[in-house]
Amino acid sequence: MIEALLVTAALLAIASLAFLPHAVTRALGALFLSAVAFVFLRHVGGDFLAGLVCAAIGFVAWRFLPGAILRRVAFMVPSLVLLIGVTTWLMYLAPGNPFAQEKSIAPQVEAALRAQYGVPESPLAFFRVYMERLLGEGSLGPALKVKGRTVQEVLLPALPVSLGLGGLALVLAVGMGLLLGVRAGMRPNSWADHASMGLALVGISLPNFVIGAGLMIVLALQLGWLPVAGWGGFRHVWMPALTLALPHAATIARLARSGTIEVLQQDWIRTARAKGLTEARVVSRHALQVAVLPVVSYLGPAAAGILTGSFVVETLFGIPGMGQWFVKGAINRDYSIVLGTALFYCGLITSFNLVVDLLLAWLDPRTRQVA
Amino acid sequence: MTRAGLLVLPLLALLAIGLTFRASFQEPAAFTFVNGTEPTSLDPGLMTGEPEGRIADAIFEGLTVRDPATLRPVPGVAERWTISEDGRRYVFHLREDARWTDGRPVTAHDFAWAWRRLQLPEHGGEYAYLLHGVRHAEALNQHEAQAMALAGPVREALAALPPDALDAATWRGFVLDHDLAGRVRGTPDRALVEAAASETGLTQAERRALPARLAREAERRKKAAKAAREHYGIDEGVYARDERTLVVDLVAPIPYFLELTSFYPSFPVPRWVVEAPGNAADWFLPDKIVSNGPFTLEAWRVGDRIRVRRSESYWGRDRIALESADALPIENQTTALNLYLTGDVDWLPNYPSDLVDALRNRPDHYSHPGLIVYYYRVNTRQPPLDDPRVRQALALAIDRRSIVDDVLRLGQIPAHHLVPPGIPGYAAPPTAIRHDPARARELLAEAGFPGGEGLPEIGILYNTHESHKKIAELIADQLGRALGVRVKPYNQEWQSYLATMRSGEYDLGRAGWIGDYLDPNTFLDIWVTNGGNNQTGWSHATYDRLIEAASDVESYSQRPFFEGLAEPDRIRAGLLRLSSAKEGSARREAAAALRLGLLREAEHILVGRELPILPIYFYVVSGLVSPRVEGFHTELVMPDGARLPNLQNLHPLRGLRVRDRPTRVGGPAS
Repeated sequence: MIEALLVTAALLAIASLAFLPHAVTRALGALFLSAVAFVFLRHVGGDFLAGLVCAAIGFVAWRFLPGAILRRVAFMVPSLVLLIGVTTWLMYLAPGNPFAQEKSIAPQVEAALRAQYGVPESPLAFFRVYMERLLGEGSLGPALKVKGRTVQEVLLPALPVSLGLGGLALVLAVGMGLLLGVRAGMRPNSWADHASMGLALVGISLPNFVIGAGLMIVLALQLGWLPVAGWGGFRHVWMPALTLALPHAATIARLARSGTIEVLQQDWIRTARAKGLTEARVVSRHALQVAVLPVVSYLGPAAAGILTGSFVVETLFGIPGMGQWFVKGAINRDYSIVLGTALFYCGLITSFNLVVDLLLAWLDPRTRQVA
Repeated sequence: MTRAGLLVLPLLALLAIGLTFRASFQEPAAFTFVNGTEPTSLDPGLMTGEPEGRIADAIFEGLTVRDPATLRPVPGVAERWTISEDGRRYVFHLREDARWTDGRPVTAHDFAWAWRRLQLPEHGGEYAYLLHGVRHAEALNQHEAQAMALAGPVREALAALPPDALDAATWRGFVLDHDLAGRVRGTPDRALVEAAASETGLTQAERRALPARLAREAERRKKAAKAAREHYGIDEGVYARDERTLVVDLVAPIPYFLELTSFYPSFPVPRWVVEAPGNAADWFLPDKIVSNGPFTLEAWRVGDRIRVRRSESYWGRDRIALESADALPIENQTTALNLYLTGDVDWLPNYPSDLVDALRNRPDHYSHPGLIVYYYRVNTRQPPLDDPRVRQALALAIDRRSIVDDVLRLGQIPAHHLVPPGIPGYAAPPTAIRHDPARARELLAEAGFPGGEGLPEIGILYNTHESHKKIAELIADQLGRALGVRVKPYNQEWQSYLATMRSGEYDLGRAGWIGDYLDPNTFLDIWVTNGGNNQTGWSHATYDRLIEAASDVESYSQRPFFEGLAEPDRIRAGLLRLSSAKEGSARREAAAALRLGLLREAEHILVGRELPILPIYFYVVSGLVSPRVEGFHTELVMPDGARLPNLQNLHPLRGLRVRDRPTRVGGPAS
């Protein structure tokens, strides 16, 4: 009952943002921004200093940051609170608990563990404990199945692994995808087009554990060029990066192809050709900028997915990345890890959408006024 | 996007990746093995599980350690020990040169404190029950909670029952709902024990006297808990007589006690490190840990590896051959196998079972029985499964040979008992379990279901896994063919499965049990009334009495009982031998034999008559180990020449040696 009320209240708060006057959302955004900064900074410089700094941050944000960004922030903070509430509620609905194992544990042991790790029996009490810890200590809480570490101590070392691997995969995906897609789009129905789209279809249809296993068999076991799995040198990076990249490369190729075909039929392309430009120059200077728009929109959420790691690729190649925690957290009922990954993913996806909005505005003059 | 941007992005990605490589992991360890899942903790007082145990055995050392070649307990931190005549007092004399990694000597106080910490209810040690045989330990661990339950919820629920005589069904339900038998176990109040075990209900007089008895028992437990808190680990139960002498007093002799002192729950813990500010939750991480074993914890990166290195402060460092070892937390068995095949890993404790035909003829393949049983729980709470004849019919209709040969194919052993074979000194009792569909049909007809008519559909619950699924489907098919019952296998994700099993909302449920120590008791004490892992609702007074008798043979010999036993003459003979044995070791041996006889009687009730569980098969342990590894014993050669399989699958790092790394098998080095 109380949970339902809480969720409704948060939903109302988020919905009401749409109706608030511009100036109020600006102020709210600045306020939230400085509040978030305060939660983290107070551990570095103490309450007073952090308060001063954060007031300054809030003022600067309010005065100088574009409205679009402040609006996003004003939207983000209540969404995160809502996310914590709903996730907690759903976790508690799932059968089991973080301390249940095959061998049953004595009631007094479970009670002791619940007290030590701050996992009360009711979701509402847990929500309270969690929010108090988050706001009071700026901590995501102790991980329950990787004892001795807080959630941030588990996730932060995994973050650069996933970011780096994902970034590399992203670059590979964009590079391969654009190359194949634009070439295919330049000559629709040619053999190059059919070959690239056939390849793309394979890339989209094959699940990544098949791609990964295939690469492993050929590159590691047959040819012996790359190590099977592990994480310790650049030789370990290529197979997982390729495995991550291929399905996205395929999607990008298809998007780029249709974008290119559409753009090449526009009047201003005919103008460019009429000026006597070479076809390569027409495409790279005039068509590409517009043809990649659907790719950029796709990249926002795709990047959030790719950069947070993949459970399948990480377990297949034995990589200490983030992706495994999304799955292990849920399987183990490790409430802290589940919330930590959910918060992290939500933060990442909202910021990437923001970046994509800004990027699109810069690339496409038509959307500038809206932003 | 500008050209510069196109270059910067991949460089940034490579930079981020480069930052995550650890310089310390660039050099491969002398020995690398696949350790299954990531250890959840390395605090000996909190941890459970095989992957954790392998690391704990390397970085800590108990009073005794398992000899790598025989796995029998040999001196560890304790250089020698004496056992009293009655087998109840152990005095351990600690070595002078045992050191923690920070240079402090390992003292008896370190053990006493660690053992006390394990039992403190607020500590939350799951393996506390293993040392409940030490005086005061159980009281410290449980009595306070029990007293509160007896004085609170149990008393209130009793008050809600009618004040006059209680019939058998009402009373039995009350005892089971409130775990009365478990909560008063070990009380001196015989009337209370008998009431809890009563099959006939309570008379009015007994019912009237009950609240006062419960209140007295609660008071007694509260006092015992208080006394234990004041004395356990300090001057009674377990305590340091001086720096180098540890005294342990047992409630009753435990024949496998020296095995427990080699097991990680009994390892010493550095109090000054654990109690340092901010260390309580994470003192066992590499930058803080102080340990006393043959190896030190050098690095631990979650999801990547744990590295241990030979300890310079360990008293027996000259005998340790391995310079360093890596434990990889790789859960994907195919990846693990590939790592082994390319020579990155030296020991693979298991592999995907569908590859057995490709692997079993390799010279580096090994396979031997394990101390693990795979079985189905039967929910005995409701009809028709509350009828032992129906349960036995199910047991007789299952063709275990076909499961082992057609599905598992690793050479597993069909299980007609619960206790895996190979435990020294233990002879399995006669069993009612075999493959006999004709007799199964007869039994079902006797129970009132001729040809399976009138039987409701029976569900088989298993946790989501390919091999559990195959077995469940085969068993469903066998039961359907043999008995004409409709059987429906269904799966649940791990945590849901655990919760369903605990709540008792299943018919048949898949389960497995790994022995904690080399003794039948670890498989049999599960099934006492309302035992935490029982979960079948099965309750049997004679069974409970036998398990209790086995835990204290001396008391049993003073007050023996024979009703309900299958072979009372064997037990009588054992009693006679015990009473005629005067001198210490002969008497201890007679007591140990009698104890195993009582456990054998208990198992007979389980598999010969009652069948609250249907054993399916005993595991084999199969893996691959590189020929460069020496001192890896899949077969143990005992001092008397007897050969035993390495049932517990223990391969202490302290006993391993490696030759130089050969060229890789899978291709050129990368």
